[in-house]
Amino acid sequence: MSFMLNGVGIEDTFAEGFGMWGARIIITAKNRKWANIAAREMTGFATSVIACDCEAGIEREVPPEETPDGRPGVSVMVFGFSKKRLSASMLSRIGQCVLTCPTTAIFNGILEEEADDMLDVGASLRFFGDGYQVKMRMGDGWGERQRFWRIPVMEGEFLAEAKFGAVRAVAGGNFLVMGESEDATLEASERAVEAIREVPGVIAPFPGGICRSGSKVGSTYAFLKASTNTPFCPSIKHTSPDSQVPAGCNSVLEVILNGLDEPSVMKAMASGIKAATEVEGVKWVTAVNFGGKLGKFRMGLKDALGVK
Amino acid sequence: MKELMLTPKKLPDLPLEAEAITPDSVAGKTLKEVKSLPVYVGNTVQKLGDYFDVKGETAETPSDQLVAIQGECGNVKYIGAGMTAGRLIVEGCVGMHAGAEMEGGELSITGSASNWAGAEMKGGLLRIQGDAGHQLGAAYRGSPEGMTGGVIVVGGDVGLEAGAFMRRGMLIIQGDADSFLGVHMNGGEIFVFGNVARRLGAEAKGNGGFIACFGGVESILPTYVYDTTFRPDFLKLYLRQLRDQLGVEAAGEYLDASFRRYRGDIAVGGTAEILIAEP
Repeated sequence: MSFMLNGVGIEDTFAEGFGMWGARIIITAKNRKWANIAAREMTGFATSVIACDCEAGIEREVPPEETPDGRPGVSVMVFGFSKKRLSASMLSRIGQCVLTCPTTAIFNGILEEEADDMLDVGASLRFFGDGYQVKMRMGDGWGERQRFWRIPVMEGEFLAEAKFGAVRAVAGGNFLVMGESEDATLEASERAVEAIREVPGVIAPFPGGICRSGSKVGSTYAFLKASTNTPFCPSIKHTSPDSQVPAGCNSVLEVILNGLDEPSVMKAMASGIKAATEVEGVKWVTAVNFGGKLGKFRMGLKDALGVK
Repeated sequence: MKELMLTPKKLPDLPLEAEAITPDSVAGKTLKEVKSLPVYVGNTVQKLGDYFDVKGETAETPSDQLVAIQGECGNVKYIGAGMTAGRLIVEGCVGMHAGAEMEGGELSITGSASNWAGAEMKGGLLRIQGDAGHQLGAAYRGSPEGMTGGVIVVGGDVGLEAGAFMRRGMLIIQGDADSFLGVHMNGGEIFVFGNVARRLGAEAKGNGGFIACFGGVESILPTYVYDTTFRPDFLKLYLRQLRDQLGVEAAGEYLDASFRRYRGDIAVGGTAEILIAEP
């Protein structure tokens, strides 16, 4: 079963998502250059929890008028399998990549009333101040109550909000873009990622938002827990018995999404798919699932695209 | 919001103690009951209606109540003391203890306030467009803590010992501050856009407390140690709040300013900060 969108076949299937804990960090700096450097460093090696401690990515650049200190900012999202692991990843990544980066400061990006829990990330970071850290209070008895830590560093001070909101989030949103050539498939995927970046609360944690080596669970080798997604490798489509690459498709790229909630991931999937199908040479779009064995979220492509 | 208007009639020569003038006291009452609220003159108990014309409407709850006083009340004490919600506007000056121990809501005074305004304030917003007397937001004698929350914004100058024993909250002075500003403070934030007289921060302990001075300081106690001159990012958050939420336009001029940082009072092992804007 399939349906057409912009002349591209869309398989009537679903992306299978699973639950993770997510947090949003607003990194600000003297200018956009340093905010982006800190954000890129912090989100490095965080594509998949298959082998990384967390999944992380840049959500968007935040204009100065929207940041707490009026400086250019970047919104970063981090996802972990548990609150404890998320907190540990945030602590080590902020500690090694943001605290060390000139001129930066960090702020919570999920309000307490919207969060499922609050993580004491800044409050843990404060010990780096070795006793010279200063507690900063705002909003006692008036306005919004906030707590920060000012940590002395060689450059000056590092300002960190004490607590960061964490929510029960959704990981594993995905779709596969299949095209007649590598160039067409890459261009379509790039356009998909550009469209996804317009959707708040979603990141695509893989390089440039795109994964060229989707994986399947397990392998022929006992020591390997994940291996290349053989059903979707065009180069072996006629030699692999379980190939699912349609005729005429010679390249496949996967866009993988994590979001703060299921509707956001669905919206991002729809935006991405629509953008991808506008590129000539794209032939087929589908999604990866494991028959419901991996996670509780079934994000149907039809539902995402609003097709009845 | 329902508005109740109080207009002073002939006020007594002795100070009138009118703790009854709060949104909390009048909400849920009839005008007749409001007029019968007790006020104190010397050792006598009188009625509010004896000294104020009372008109308008009362609300069910304090948060929906606006009380407006139209006229000079320089000899009326405790206006707005202990209020927890709603708005109280005084078009004129007020006597001692205005807004003392208030916990919420907004008290706005278009004139000046006498001593002990906002003393031991716990929450809410106290605006004084004119000057404030001595012991603004301070602790009463013998009390270990002064302000523990809320915001006081003064358009003019303040007297001695403003913010004494401050623990939390914000004190914003757009004019000059007299001696012993923030004496014994142990937390909280004080911003002064005018000149600050000597002995600010005497025996301050710290706990994140600081005094930011934008218009110069007469002298710094020798028990404060100069650390550095820097551009503190954290101050941007406060300055933006002052400018955008509290209407203190001058704050916006210092967003990128450098500050000299002093730490003390080492006479008491304190870690409070005095930040002085570089000219």
